[in-house]
Amino acid sequence: MGIINRARIYSPWLYHMHCGGCNGCDIETLAALAPRFDAERFGIQLVASPRHADILVTTGCVPKQFIPMVKRVYEQVPDPKVVVAVGGCACGGSLFYDEDPENYAILGSADLLIPVDVYVPGCAPKPEQIINGIVQGILKLAEKGAKKDAKQ
Amino acid sequence: MSAHIKILRQVLSKYSSPMTLNYPSGVNPDKKYSQIPEGLRGFIERDKEKCIGCRACYMVCSGRATKYFDVGDKRTIQVFHFRCTYCAHCEEGCPEEAIKMTKNFELTVTDRNDPKAYVNTELDMLTCKNCGKVFTPVKLEKRAFERLSDKINPRVKDVVIADFKKGEGYCMDCRRSRGVMMDAHTKKHVWLEVV
Repeated sequence: MGIINRARIYSPWLYHMHCGGCNGCDIETLAALAPRFDAERFGIQLVASPRHADILVTTGCVPKQFIPMVKRVYEQVPDPKVVVAVGGCACGGSLFYDEDPENYAILGSADLLIPVDVYVPGCAPKPEQIINGIVQGILKLAEKGAKKDAKQ
Repeated sequence: MSAHIKILRQVLSKYSSPMTLNYPSGVNPDKKYSQIPEGLRGFIERDKEKCIGCRACYMVCSGRATKYFDVGDKRTIQVFHFRCTYCAHCEEGCPEEAIKMTKNFELTVTDRNDPKAYVNTELDMLTCKNCGKVFTPVKLEKRAFERLSDKINPRVKDVVIADFKKGEGYCMDCRRSRGVMMDAHTKKHVWLEVV
């Protein structure tokens, strides 16, 4: 394992993107990062820009007006990147989405638009579950980092 | 002044101990989780023996997580955990009390088609003797008859049950079209009394 990849796994930086939905998952995600559950002991840190991030956490279903922003944020995250979908809306669309009749305003889950690596279902998921999901995301990040190293 | 300092010390002593809950282990090292509230609603568990396939859970599902598929002579009732909102309407609405909300909330999968994210229940279906159409689960017909037979007016109970037995194994359309041949009619008891 290269030194850069090792450093990346020990301290993955996280960008939190709220697409739509009811805000319940955002509260739980922030609770997971706050001192009570303290995700920072794994080196996970919340950053303000997607250009600094390794892990992209999406919450909520994707409204049609928000499609260009989701694409842009995903493209701004540098490779290797991992997307973690938190909550029922980001995983499967939940209450806001239906195949038939189709909703005029809501596209659906995040994986219709961008490739999602880890799903964390729940409405809303507990902070412990979110930490578990992010740790799974770190394992994926290690795989992707190793692949990138092998290419170079 | 000294009283003030005492109060301040008491307040500060609460914050001196570490506030972080370890995961996985929590405050109690023998348990996996730090705290699980009493009323927590986790993933659904369905009792395969109790379920009769009546689709009541499908009707009341608020997140449209419950679906059913009739393929061949089997009915599959499926709950997709990604779409579930844990509202427990299905637990409330199930007439046979087959659905229960567990306290298990931990699930992280890397694939959408992972079998962990689904709860499937398979049921056998009845085939019509006359036209060969697959129409209702075996258990549902049995249980519906049991439930209804308690509520029939005792004056006509024997006649109605005998009529029901004649139509057993026929689908809805065949029962209607063959009603005359079966000598079964809903108002037969009225005619019997008149004659």
